[in-house]
Amino acid sequence: MTEEEPTPADVDSDQDVISRILAGERDAFAMLIGRYSDPLYRHALGMTGSPDVAEDILQTSFIKAYHHLGEVRGRFDAWLFRIVANGCKDWLKNIRRTHLSYDEDDQPSTYASPDEDLDRTELRQDLDSALAQLAPSLREAFIMKHVEGRSYEEMADLLGTTVGALKMRVHRAREALQTLLEEKYD
Amino acid sequence: MLDRHEAHDDRNLGQDLPKRDAATVADRPVADREVPLPGMAAAGEPALVIHQWLDGETSEAEARRADAKQVDLWKMISTETEQRRRMTTPAYVTANIMAAIPEARTATKMATATATSTSSMVESRSALPLTMVLMLGGGLVAIGIVIGKML
Repeated sequence: MTEEEPTPADVDSDQDVISRILAGERDAFAMLIGRYSDPLYRHALGMTGSPDVAEDILQTSFIKAYHHLGEVRGRFDAWLFRIVANGCKDWLKNIRRTHLSYDEDDQPSTYASPDEDLDRTELRQDLDSALAQLAPSLREAFIMKHVEGRSYEEMADLLGTTVGALKMRVHRAREALQTLLEEKYD
Repeated sequence: MLDRHEAHDDRNLGQDLPKRDAATVADRPVADREVPLPGMAAAGEPALVIHQWLDGETSEAEARRADAKQVDLWKMISTETEQRRRMTTPAYVTANIMAAIPEARTATKMATATATSTSSMVESRSALPLTMVLMLGGGLVAIGIVIGKML
């Protein structure tokens, strides 16, 4: 007997899950965390450059979302994204970063040799450093496009702006990153 | 299409607000500009093809013909961004979130349990004097019998 993929009808919609939570089924909230934590974590990590800060923002955002579930109007994922995105922007307003680094220990290396690993670590640090120099709106657009792999339409939907404006931001982010990185990696 | 800048709409009302000249625009950080910098647009032809390639609108061969160095740079950046795309939330984050949100159902059960034990205490408080009265009554009767026998 083969295991079939669940059809959309088999999967509870966000609104169904929210209704269950509001009816007192607290544990159903874990389902929403499971659905959305990974892309939101990647977003927070890309925006802040710090795994610890990204985790804090994610936790705070989900807890805030839980307390305000009754106020959700429209798409839950877009609403939740805005909470996380605002958390990142607030953090960026309040902190001046001097150095960015990802926790290597959590990520298994996919590179063959120590030299490749070293090169990759260097590129990672250089990219982080370059991203940190971008204006938050450009960094956000670049992260959503290139790290989260979202389409311009999806980004426009989540950010409440136009595809054209987002293309402009992504293009500017690329140009700025290219200027910052090409001298070293040419 | 550009972002809307409602704050700039005031300038259309003919008020005496300072006009933004080219020098002021050039002084602003590159990242915040919504219009091309003077001089940057000229170099835009190969860059445009690179953007189109990165947006999946043209082939790598086409982009390579325009600027092979940029293609190599972006392929290198892509290996890093793709690695990041596979990152997942540490498992303990979910556990921390669930631990931090209120135990609504447990709290209800606890409230019920507390209410039950409280009512039991109320009942036992109301039952206690009755027992004591009976014991006191019995004691008094016994003392009365003893005194009666002594007399």
